[in-house]
Amino acid sequence: MITPPPPGELLLEARDLHKTYRLDGDAVHALRGVSLALAAGDYVAIVGPSGCGKSTLLHLLGGIDAPTAGSVRILGTELGRLGDRELTRLRLTRLGFVFQRFHLLPVLTARENVELPMAEAGVPSRERRARADELLRYVGLAGRERHRTTQLSGGEMQRVAIARALANRPALLLADEPTGELDAATGGEILALFRRLNRDGVTLVVVTHDERLAAQATRVIHMLDGRIVDDVRRGD
Amino acid sequence: MPPGWALRNLARHPLRTALSLLGIAVSSAMLLDMVLLSGGIERSFERLLRGRGYQVRLAIKGTLPFDTEATIPGIAGVLDTVRRTPGVEAAGAVLGASLHGRRGDSLVTLFGYGVEPGAQALYQLERGADLAADDTLGLLLGRPAARLLGAAIGDTVVLVGRLDPQLGRTAVERRLVVRGLVRWLYDYRDQPSIGTVLPVMQALAGHAGADRASFVVVRVGDGASVAAVVDHLRRALPRIEVNSVAELVERFRERLVYFRQLSYILGTVSLAVTLLLVVTLMTITVNERTGEIAALRAIGVGRATIVRQVLVEGTTLTVAGAAAGVVLGALTARYLDAILTSFPGLPAAISFFVPEPRSLAVAGAVLLLAGALAGGYPAFLAARAPIAATLREEAT
Repeated sequence: MITPPPPGELLLEARDLHKTYRLDGDAVHALRGVSLALAAGDYVAIVGPSGCGKSTLLHLLGGIDAPTAGSVRILGTELGRLGDRELTRLRLTRLGFVFQRFHLLPVLTARENVELPMAEAGVPSRERRARADELLRYVGLAGRERHRTTQLSGGEMQRVAIARALANRPALLLADEPTGELDAATGGEILALFRRLNRDGVTLVVVTHDERLAAQATRVIHMLDGRIVDDVRRGD
Repeated sequence: MPPGWALRNLARHPLRTALSLLGIAVSSAMLLDMVLLSGGIERSFERLLRGRGYQVRLAIKGTLPFDTEATIPGIAGVLDTVRRTPGVEAAGAVLGASLHGRRGDSLVTLFGYGVEPGAQALYQLERGADLAADDTLGLLLGRPAARLLGAAIGDTVVLVGRLDPQLGRTAVERRLVVRGLVRWLYDYRDQPSIGTVLPVMQALAGHAGADRASFVVVRVGDGASVAAVVDHLRRALPRIEVNSVAELVERFRERLVYFRQLSYILGTVSLAVTLLLVVTLMTITVNERTGEIAALRAIGVGRATIVRQVLVEGTTLTVAGAAAGVVLGALTARYLDAILTSFPGLPAAISFFVPEPRSLAVAGAVLLLAGALAGGYPAFLAARAPIAATLREEAT
């Protein structure tokens, strides 16, 4: 199902990340010198108050935004040196994204949504269909392959989004408030799924306000005002 | 990308898509009609003139055939000159005149053509037999005339020549037998026309028809130069207006230059409306899907895929709208043509809306290109949207 890199291998390294936005002419410092390293098999929760820079850090780690200063390396590749095409390809094949609002395509079925990144990566039709069905079974949605996403509940949509994120066997899965739109019970199901994913070797970085999610992570990074103020490994 | 994604996206807002399709269909129909109209009547006129293979027309100086009642005097001599001209294969004179036919105790007004059956460009035989060159007892009827006279092939019809309204008596009366039913190529709709051999019509026309004709048609033989024949005839017959069909078409085209320009302007407006519709719809569609597009970009979908998708949606919309526009345009053209060609004095065989493959192909290509370009700007916007900023805006 999942093909993890060897446990403990350095997956990601961020050095002295700064991010400054311009807002009505004023500089807003979202990140002020963040450095961190992630190893294969990590399950990292990034927590902190709203506006502390959690999502910005996730966007920089995922290569969907560029730092004002500093660098991010994923599996030895420095993102700042990549052009748009290479960066897009890296996101497609090495990273998986899960969003708070799912961002599934409503006109497609669950299966088609999961197939989408594989189609973009050039996976043959039969193979991607088989893998999409396998992933939907894995996230507990067997039998829902042909349902439009608009026919699914919030929890089910997030499961489809997780299956989509896993489609191209990513080295790292990044999630931004994955339980933020879900009720407690449904959020709990997603937590269980994340636990299982990590057990099966998927490296996870999750931005969250959900204390339950933070509690099950193997490493919790606390942020405040654009800086990492605490980095706790379970058992430390 | 999953097949039919573009279509499914268009189906997300059925009312909006339907209204846009309707708008594109209407403007495409207008564009089509303007393309057909811009050169339609010229093409139709040319086709009509060239239809019977006679490339030169002779008429009285300063007129066109049937423009006035003026006739060419000394027609026998003129025809002799024409037929002796090198390169001329055949020539025939035509005399047109108003006359009457008897139906019971009353007279009905008819239009008569005196023709030389061996060299004529005026009619096509539909039923029965054509006239022989020396058939001074034979008569050809158009269907409106046959209806008006209540006559069929084999019936005898009494034709009455020039009436003298002051004396109240007829100048000439002839009893002729209907040989055939013909379609008069230059008649306006429901014009009741009859045809006889030239001498009979000259006799029916009385003094006005003696050795006269309204015009002469000339066929130039294969290999001979039409221009050379025209040039020769102009020199030989300086009192006669000699024109090649090509020259007549050119004069007709010059007369219609404003008409054509108006068609081009209206066609361009239609094209612009189509363009604006597609741009507007696709921009709205893209703007309300910025979050979705940013998320797609985030998960690794390339700019090219996004651009292609938006272009496919724009082009699909344009093609579907244009296809409906072709049907609508064809129906409108047919309806308008029926109105325009019913104007008195216009040959019914003339059409204002004539399809011409090259113009249609150009219009179709321009429309498709416009659709693709119209999708291009929103596609550019979609592909260039900053991913993180868009996702942040979506989240707030």
